Amino acid sequence: MAKIELNDVSLTFTLSQERRVTFKEYLIRGLFLPSRNPKVAVHALANINLTANDGDRIGIIGHNGAGKSTMLKLLAGIYPPTSGTKTVEGKICSLFDISLGFEHEANGWDNIMYRAYLQGETPRSLKAKLQDIADFTELGSFLNVPVRYYSSGMLVRLAFSIATAAEPEVLLIDEVLSVGDMAFQNKARQRMKEMMSSARLMVMVSHDLESIRSLCTRAIWLQQGTIMMAGDPDEVVDAYTESVAPKISRHPAGLVTDDPDQAEPVEPAEIVERAA
Amino acid sequence: MVRESAGVPLAVHGRDTVDNDQVHDQESTHPRQKSAIVIALPDSDASSCGSPPTTRIVARSHWGFADLHEIWRYRELLYFLTARDIKIRYKQTILGSAWAIMQPLSAVLVFVIFFGRLGGLADGVDNYTLFVLAGVLPWTFFSNAVIAAGNSLVGNERLVTKTYFPRVFLPMACVGASAFDFLIGLSLLALGFVLAGMMVSSSLLLAPLVLGLLAITAFGVGILFAALIVAQRDFRHVLTFGMQLWMFSTPCIYLSADKIGPTAQAWLPLNPVYGLLLNFRAAIIGGTFDLRALGLSTLSGLAIMLTGFWYFRRVERTLADTI
Repeated sequence: MAKIELNDVSLTFTLSQERRVTFKEYLIRGLFLPSRNPKVAVHALANINLTANDGDRIGIIGHNGAGKSTMLKLLAGIYPPTSGTKTVEGKICSLFDISLGFEHEANGWDNIMYRAYLQGETPRSLKAKLQDIADFTELGSFLNVPVRYYSSGMLVRLAFSIATAAEPEVLLIDEVLSVGDMAFQNKARQRMKEMMSSARLMVMVSHDLESIRSLCTRAIWLQQGTIMMAGDPDEVVDAYTESVAPKISRHPAGLVTDDPDQAEPVEPAEIVERAA
Repeated sequence: MVRESAGVPLAVHGRDTVDNDQVHDQESTHPRQKSAIVIALPDSDASSCGSPPTTRIVARSHWGFADLHEIWRYRELLYFLTARDIKIRYKQTILGSAWAIMQPLSAVLVFVIFFGRLGGLADGVDNYTLFVLAGVLPWTFFSNAVIAAGNSLVGNERLVTKTYFPRVFLPMACVGASAFDFLIGLSLLALGFVLAGMMVSSSLLLAPLVLGLLAITAFGVGILFAALIVAQRDFRHVLTFGMQLWMFSTPCIYLSADKIGPTAQAWLPLNPVYGLLLNFRAAIIGGTFDLRALGLSTLSGLAIMLTGFWYFRRVERTLADTI
């Protein structure tokens, strides 16, 4: 059984406002002097509650900087929550960065292994899949060549084949689909669908509202780190589209476009000063 | 954070678990309640099956110790990170793994010519070359391991920010890869033995123990620096040139024990490498073991490792956004 449960989860990043903390400050800070380079707490996620179970396909939408990717990374375990509890059950597979973990001096076969181990495969489970992965790349003897010599398209093929070979229980996807040439794209889309349907639980972030509508059973609209709206994907997407539709009053920057991505007034995450 | 395969019953992991009531309490009274919508769609099968095993993770304390359970589950990854480090290291070089021999060999030459001959340190030591070699080899291992481990987090920034695995694996893998180089370097020592017509004694059995302690110390110093470098890049430079200073402050590498005065002998074991190197040499080429030095150095090595671990855990929490 796969399950995600976020209970009043908040995530706060602490950043230096102006520049990197200097070495001198690093040593002195907290010992003698108050820093003149105040720390800023950025509330990337605030009081998120979310329960998801087997069969859920959750789409996350929202402006840039709304906390979508942060939320996925939180679920993946990359960021531990600052407060609240997070429960994730099930083997997690995260597709955030398609070319993650490539070692450019090593050949294709080795890279399949590095990447697969990063995704939590074991020698036994990988053995069964290795040939499948290799076949799917269609790279043939190029797999014996260091990845350094690959074209970017070939890299994408390799990466995608490995990434989608996992059999995750919890699948986390961050905008990865626009890969390779036409022929491969069709194949990739097919594979992606298979993977999504085999996963017990999926959370995806996308700006492609249509795929959210068609693939997801639930949608969440994030804004400034909080959940604006959650529920049926059609309703949420409609509400979101409505909110970003050209209305001068809503856009301090005066941007007027139809594309929700472009129309973004890039709202900064809430910034709260605090003493360093 | 903890990830579990489904079906594996979990205990609540040893971190602060939040009291249930408290959470609910916060929920109902929280001023931002409006935005914190609880999504609980009526769901098919899963929700109602008694009390399913759960893992609850809250912001964890700085003093939390390593999650051994998790490390065990990811062990294959550790093995492969190590293999990767070994394979990649000399990939684009012509001499390849011969570098693992060149490095200690050239250090030995410098010591023998400049310290031994010109500095006269070789007087009264039989086979000064072998003497230095038995000190330089483990030192090279230590120094390489610490430098590689120290840079391992910033060097693998993308892995750290894009995927989750136990972060200690990165420095661990570096220590493992350096140990591999050390094994290659040991062939030099074997060669030295053959040339000198010497035989090994049973004291050799102590060598693996000393090396194990050396690896633990290297890991400890390595994770301390790995975390320090993430917090402050300046420590990168401190590390590189600090290791050189450290080498010269470990006089047992190039100086025989009778040339070190009693006061120095009393205090030097606080340098964790000192006692280990001293006894490694005794195990290899014979001589008396200095058990006091071994004990003190081990203790100080462990102290450094605990400090390193504590600081590493502290930095690890915010690693992905501060790196």
